Amino acid sequence: MIFRPRGRGVAVVRRHGVLIVFVLLVASMFVMTSTFGTYQNLRNVLQQNSIIGIIACGMTFAIILGGFDLSVGSMTALASVVGATLMIELGTPGIPIGIVGAVAACLLVGATNGGLIAYLGVNPFVATLGTMTVVRGLIYVATNASPRFGVPYSFTTLGLGRLFGIPNPAILFLLVALLLGFILHRTRFGHYVYAVGGNSVASAQMGVNTARVRFAVYVLVSVCAAISGIILIGQTASATPQAALGYELTAIAAVIVGGAPLGGGRGRMAGTIVGVFLLGVVANGLNLFGVSPFWQPVATGLILIAAVAFDGYSGRGAFGS
Amino acid sequence: MAGSTNTPTALLSMEGVRKSFGAVVALNDASLQLPTGNITGLVGDNGAGKSTLIKIISGVLTPDSGSIEFLGKPANFASPADAREQGVETVYQDLALAGNLAVWANLYLGRELTVGPKFLHVLDKRAMLSKTSEMLSRFIRNVPPIAEPVELLSGGQRQVVAIARAGAWGSKLILMDEPTAALGVAETKAVEEVILELKRRGLTILVISHNLDQVFRITDGIWVMRRGRVIGYREKARSHPDEIVSMITGAAASAGAGE
Repeated sequence: MIFRPRGRGVAVVRRHGVLIVFVLLVASMFVMTSTFGTYQNLRNVLQQNSIIGIIACGMTFAIILGGFDLSVGSMTALASVVGATLMIELGTPGIPIGIVGAVAACLLVGATNGGLIAYLGVNPFVATLGTMTVVRGLIYVATNASPRFGVPYSFTTLGLGRLFGIPNPAILFLLVALLLGFILHRTRFGHYVYAVGGNSVASAQMGVNTARVRFAVYVLVSVCAAISGIILIGQTASATPQAALGYELTAIAAVIVGGAPLGGGRGRMAGTIVGVFLLGVVANGLNLFGVSPFWQPVATGLILIAAVAFDGYSGRGAFGS
Repeated sequence: MAGSTNTPTALLSMEGVRKSFGAVVALNDASLQLPTGNITGLVGDNGAGKSTLIKIISGVLTPDSGSIEFLGKPANFASPADAREQGVETVYQDLALAGNLAVWANLYLGRELTVGPKFLHVLDKRAMLSKTSEMLSRFIRNVPPIAEPVELLSGGQRQVVAIARAGAWGSKLILMDEPTAALGVAETKAVEEVILELKRRGLTILVISHNLDQVFRITDGIWVMRRGRVIGYREKARSHPDEIVSMITGAAASAGAGE
């Protein structure tokens, strides 16, 4: 019964592959362009990726659990429309009410997702595709598909303001990432997310309440979407029913690129953050080189495939073991 | 008669248990005793009712009629969790380990140690890591690397971890269904050593096995089942594989099976 770990170098590349690629990418961007390293540009990168980053932090839980949540984009738009509407109707004193309303609306969707998946055994793809479509449809019905303007301008501090030169959305992203990273890696609940994602039957046999873990994860994802939707209001002092279209797939892509395979049981919060910024820096680079923005989804898709292929090739990926 | 083993030292005894699934009678008037501190074998052909019997003891199935006594008191296990709480652990055939979790995390799965404010449930990884070695080394000579994910271990190492986990939590009776069915010779030997170590630690074990060599290597006594009935008990020292085979196949039905 001798245990032999595989080669150390292979293990390092496997574990930190995305980080290595990210560092090389950033380094070459510094070398190849004079604009990438400017404060203005780095601030833009932070500003543009924080909303998707917060969603990806929640999505990391769902993917490690062995599922995912397609309704995050719709929930983000929902939070933004509900919050903005309340703030417009009630004026500046209505800001806290708008925030509470946005969170409550998303919690309702998250609890629906969690209930369907955890207690009724509905497949996560089906459940969240359903709520994604229903919620988006209800938003269109309620707004007649027209945007809501007139949120008190003071609220843009949240979306456009800065603290010590760092955009406020990026600070919120950092706080969410630290908090959720702590929950995922240090608490029993986070531990159970890995356990259920790795072997749900075994976890249940050993006394883990797997349904409660699943339910809580989808509620957590909905809170992240709510935070993103609220920041969205703060960036434009308005809300658009078409907001956050496709965010679910970008967030899932970032998590997978960050090293969490769709099969569940694996992944790290730090990996997700690297995944978010890897996709973000590539998009920024294309922009700086004057490439048409239409190429950006092409790049995202290729990176996604490359990351998963590497993961699978190194024997530990989405389709390995 | 074989029935003379019905002594007050039985940890668990089952009397007249019946279980049917629709028209199929899986267990018919089954009675047996598990002597405290013994390794008892349970043998029989496919479909003889061994798995049904073990599932009734472990709380997965509820008997239609009959009674079970555990530790001298009537036992009525409502669920596997209930059985575990009262000291009956089952080592499942599919191992019940989470492959992505480390050995220590599997050992503590569902029983994690925490530190700090109660509501946060912050894991005390250091304490679990340090206690894992100690707990496993009670039963295992070569403790596998406890910080490695279980999926990196061999099948034998995994089975050893699963069995040691069953013994580590103060259980009194451990049920095993074909614990070495998928293992090679050396791994089977390692698993058998762990089972014998559990016995040395005072645990009572019921093991289903198709391998009569193994049954005669590790058990103290053998219950034989045929067609949903428990047809008899033999002390290993006074029996022989040929006798057990003839009981399993029914060739010795008239030779007196203790009924």
